[in-house]
Amino acid sequence: MKLNKLPQLQRREFLRRASALGVAGTAAPWALSLAGIGEAAAATAPGDYKALVCVFLYGGNDYGNTLIPYDSASYTAYAGIRQSLAISRDALAATALPVAAGGRQMALAPQLGKLKSLWDAGTLAVQLNVGTLVQPTTLAQYKAQSVPLPPKLFSHNDQQSTWQASSPEGATSGWGGRIGDLFLNSNATSTFTCINVSGNAVFMAGRQAAQYQVSTNGAVAVNGITKPLFGSQACATALRSLITADRSHWMEAELNRVVRRSVDAQVTLGAALAGLPALGTAFGTASLSAQLQMVAKLIAARQSLGAARQVYFVSIGGFDLHDLLVAQHPLLLTQVNDALASFYAATVELGVAQQVTTFTASDFGRTLTSNGDGSDHGWGSHHFVMGGAVKGGRFYGTLPSVSVNGPDDVGQGRLLPTTSVDQLAATLATWMGVPATDLPTVLPQIGNYTTRDLGYFT
Amino acid sequence: MPALSALPALSELPELFRAPSPPLPEPADALAAGLPAALTPAAAALSSAALLSACGGGGSSDTTPASPPPAPTPPPTPTAAPTDAQAARFLAQAGFAALPADIAAVKTNGYAAWLDTQLAMPVTDGHYDWMVAKGYAVEANRNSFAGLDNTLWRKLMTAPDTLRQRVVLALSEIFVISMNGLPVQWPGFVGAAYLDMLEQNAFGTYRALLEGVTLSTGMGVYLNMRGNQKEDTKTGRVPDENYAREVMQLMSIGLVQLNADGSAKVGSDGKPLETYTQTQITDLARVFTGWDYGAATSTTDPAYVRKPMANIAARFSTGAKRVLDVDIPASADGPAAMKTALDTLASHANVGPFLGRQLIQRLVTSNPSAAYVARVSAVWANNGAGVRGDLKAVIRAVLLDTEARSAATTPSSGKLREPVQRLLQWGRSFGVTSATEAWNIGDTSNPATRLGQSPLRSGSVFNFFRPGYVPPGSALGSSGITAPEFQLCNESTVAGYLNFLQTAIASGIGEVKPSYTAELALATDAPALVASLALRLGGGGISAITESTVATAIATISAATDAGKLNRVQAAILMLMACPEYLIQK
Repeated sequence: MKLNKLPQLQRREFLRRASALGVAGTAAPWALSLAGIGEAAAATAPGDYKALVCVFLYGGNDYGNTLIPYDSASYTAYAGIRQSLAISRDALAATALPVAAGGRQMALAPQLGKLKSLWDAGTLAVQLNVGTLVQPTTLAQYKAQSVPLPPKLFSHNDQQSTWQASSPEGATSGWGGRIGDLFLNSNATSTFTCINVSGNAVFMAGRQAAQYQVSTNGAVAVNGITKPLFGSQACATALRSLITADRSHWMEAELNRVVRRSVDAQVTLGAALAGLPALGTAFGTASLSAQLQMVAKLIAARQSLGAARQVYFVSIGGFDLHDLLVAQHPLLLTQVNDALASFYAATVELGVAQQVTTFTASDFGRTLTSNGDGSDHGWGSHHFVMGGAVKGGRFYGTLPSVSVNGPDDVGQGRLLPTTSVDQLAATLATWMGVPATDLPTVLPQIGNYTTRDLGYFT
Repeated sequence: MPALSALPALSELPELFRAPSPPLPEPADALAAGLPAALTPAAAALSSAALLSACGGGGSSDTTPASPPPAPTPPPTPTAAPTDAQAARFLAQAGFAALPADIAAVKTNGYAAWLDTQLAMPVTDGHYDWMVAKGYAVEANRNSFAGLDNTLWRKLMTAPDTLRQRVVLALSEIFVISMNGLPVQWPGFVGAAYLDMLEQNAFGTYRALLEGVTLSTGMGVYLNMRGNQKEDTKTGRVPDENYAREVMQLMSIGLVQLNADGSAKVGSDGKPLETYTQTQITDLARVFTGWDYGAATSTTDPAYVRKPMANIAARFSTGAKRVLDVDIPASADGPAAMKTALDTLASHANVGPFLGRQLIQRLVTSNPSAAYVARVSAVWANNGAGVRGDLKAVIRAVLLDTEARSAATTPSSGKLREPVQRLLQWGRSFGVTSATEAWNIGDTSNPATRLGQSPLRSGSVFNFFRPGYVPPGSALGSSGITAPEFQLCNESTVAGYLNFLQTAIASGIGEVKPSYTAELALATDAPALVASLALRLGGGGISAITESTVATAIATISAATDAGKLNRVQAAILMLMACPEYLIQK
């Protein structure tokens, strides 16, 4: 399914369209990128459907107050370290999860009651202490710097990029986009392979696949070309030509490429969304809910869009809580709780719960220690994996010790990850249908791990 | 970095180790050829002084290969006066718009003289005072930003010190605070006081600016230094690291050690050398303890937010500290420790190339050559009179450099005009006024219906876009060309911008209205109208072919009526401000 294995017919069709669009005339190798010409990657009939949805928590989610130690000994250790940041044990009773291996017990934050219900129903799992790594790394190796470590640890922008793209800021493709690359020709319109309902994120850019951005209200039409411009059809026509023409200057070319995609996709998407019955599932009005509601609508339109495999990206910011953690973190988790629960319900309503997997990600975890009003940048963190295909109601990975200077701590309760983002990504990619032989193209460092499927799926 | 001519296939390794500041080699002949540069003798002297200091200004590392010496600055040739197009191009870099009077001034007196006039203009009509005068300092606004967007747009759209406004906008995107993240009372006045502080320091020294930023209530709240307390061994509480980290990563030295030309120094393993460690952040965080509001807070009068923060000795972390390689003795109190920390950061060799390159990106081009960065770094190190970090000299160096003043020639040259810059150019070019004097333009952040960007409303301290952002896909991505403003460019925002602009051109923005009097006088002559607009908006960057396309299109509208004339003008403005030759500022 890789591009270099395109069947002959598709290759001919690709070249025909490339020629028709005039991109070959610019005589530049990059112009032959499938991303540059949208539907040229159109391919054969989709058999099944699957979608992967990344929910990115910008700023670095505080793992310590998301999944809280609850058994008596662990809670005492937690409360001792967190001091004024600690959530009271009583407040955790309703969201306490069953006792895990080794007698340890954890609770979800009190605001995550709906996620607790999904856990109970077996459709939500927790991946423990996952983070960016180059290879499996022990604390001794970290301290001795004897193995390669992810560059620029603890830096927001670089660790966002490393989570999303396996390398720091400046990366030009992410693993969501690289999964998309492998399915461009499974979708009737390649533009709708990687859809972002948030701002640009490198996660969604493939080597060929381009992320397509859509607002929470759907695609935005350019008014100036859809009707006469200041009373003149000639002006509307001229405007369309100016903003969509091929350009030789690289930045002009990139700009007009985006405009072309915007104009072309809006026509298709506008029609596809207009024909849909309203979703019965209620969504909140907060941004994350609105974003996931749009994802649900796009999934509902999958057949008219001819989509067989899709990757989606949504996000919520504000997690960098150096201050006001106690006041603000619960508000953010409430939004996550509401949005994820509504979205899961919508996938049930649409009959695709088994075919849509949603996961959370974030820059990094945070310190377990308190600075008096919040916590600082960390590394490993706990994340959610949700969907009908997920073997939920259980933990994956290794529960870290609740301690400062403990066996998992690189300082102040910053967790050394015991599971890598690459392993999590490989598990999700495999579920999407990426063959084992193609995993290294999606995740260049996956060869450093023997376990490439963490077992989330049945 | 790959050369321009080489377009390597995408691979993972370069991504992993790409330096954040990839300078692109420029063809030497392109630099040397056709330099208009009607520089004044003073500017020429500055340029020479800068060169002299360049050799010792960048620091060096034994472990790294020496970077190539910066190309010598070709001697400016004070011959031909700038053309109209050259003047308009300069004015769009140094300000927001090219008004006929400014074009005339630049043509008559040269670039440097225009800058000198602007640099000499006093700071007037401050944001804070205006908000008080307009009655915003009332209890009902204690927890709102009421008035802040208004005063921002007021000054950005109309203040006569256009260079200062342009530089303040740039500084607000490097020393970022944002209305998304000021959870404090009187937040609107906190923002206004911060802007006033930037205006006061924009043409001073970097060291003074850094102190103004560090001790401002706005930054204190935004990055949590206000209220930061010393460690407590009993409870395990530790100092907040946020400002310590971000002041180094974003506002002074950056993450990797740099040569004076902005290239990264690399170690024996070929990887960039990092500037600091987590341990050093933890130590610097102790320096930033004990700070709180500079005066008693008040629920009725926001004046206290204007005061620099003050240190409370009892909350200051005692004991010896170290900032990078400089020891701070245990005897130093909070202010003394702060002084050493800021002195140390401001004198670090990275600051010139790190921030100089970003100023070039904000004002001139996304991918300056290494030589251009080195020339600006040299001026940063020494303004010619022994002063380091003289922002006046740096701004002159950025804008008068031969690379800034030469027409761009490569397929990666220039920058995407940021959305706010486009709106300001429209507003200033067509003399917008606010009948109510309230400047109710508001928050322009909505990506689908407005600009996807609004001053002082970045999503985080990492600004709307990153200096190292590389658009994926296309030639830019495969060649590692940085194009920061493209981080805001997607299928929604391109359409949202065009729709917002169309409405603004036609009807203004609420009560903020444009005037097209001068343009209407040209409307019967479509080519002349378009040529005039293209010159002022595009500064010579809009081709004759595009002008012809636009002129032909508007000529189909009858100019027999006033309404027809207005349609011609408005359609022409929209098409020009939509076309890629305009949007990519070269």
